Amino acid sequence: MKRLTLVLMLSLVFCASAWAGTTTYAGNSYWPAGNAASTSFGPGWYRNTFYKTASFDTTLTFIDNVSYSWHSTVRSWATFVETHWLSSAVKKAYCRANTTGPSWASCTANN
Amino acid sequence: MLRMKRKRNWIAVVGAVVAGGVFAGAVIAAQLDERGIPQDLEASLRSDPLVQVADIPADGGLGRRGVFVQQTSAGFLCLWDAPNASSRARQGGCNDTDDPFGGRELFLSLAYDGGPAVADVRDARLIGLASTEVPEVAVLMSDGSRRKVNLRKASIGDDSYQAFGYRFKSSDLRRGIAPTAVLALNDAGEEVDRQPTGFAG
Repeated sequence: MKRLTLVLMLSLVFCASAWAGTTTYAGNSYWPAGNAASTSFGPGWYRNTFYKTASFDTTLTFIDNVSYSWHSTVRSWATFVETHWLSSAVKKAYCRANTTGPSWASCTANN
Repeated sequence: MLRMKRKRNWIAVVGAVVAGGVFAGAVIAAQLDERGIPQDLEASLRSDPLVQVADIPADGGLGRRGVFVQQTSAGFLCLWDAPNASSRARQGGCNDTDDPFGGRELFLSLAYDGGPAVADVRDARLIGLASTEVPEVAVLMSDGSRRKVNLRKASIGDDSYQAFGYRFKSSDLRRGIAPTAVLALNDAGEEVDRQPTGFAG
């Protein structure tokens, strides 16, 4: 019983740090210029973010699976970049380094 | 008997190490999420107020939007392109309040719909902040022409900036004339910062 309680408590600690509906689809300590990543295609993605520990030039967008057109694209040197596409279309979230990123940065999408 | 006691001690040591690790992990998780993002940034982005500092004019069938600043309690200065202050359909970014220009002369975001080829872009907008020491901001177009951007004074907290919002002409985009770079110019008209847009020039 004590073991079961301990396992449950540990599970709660780990679950508490989880972020429901958030997927980190890229995380690297070095981003060569041109390096890109994306999620799988799905209808639920609506928010796309790029977090950097140092400033470099990046692009964030959504790409639909019919015309492969870009939607709600944002390009910026800011250390935190965010965009939203509030559409039920099937799409993927996409991020790209336009210049070399010298330190940790990650791309995350919400659905 | 002695072997049993050693085994219990060993289990106690392992248990203490595991418990310590879990505690340390929980403390770190309370400050940073799995992306390494300070959790108070996410919370502040949801709750801290946005203040409009410039307009993005309507053009054809494209609606008017605004340029909004959000000074977050997490220590970030954010700049958003959005239909209104409460809209979720916003695009932009944030820098540390202590270095809002990220070591440059301009804090910019370029937002567009359509593409990636210029001829397929339906709407492209530029938002930004410049220091009060930058007298002119211009956009260099792919045909070699320059478009002057109107700067508007903006007070954010105790600091003064110049804010701008700019919508590119849809007629230019249809003809394949794209913004190739944003320039900050000094009094002599010399470039003090150049940020490429990614569109070929």
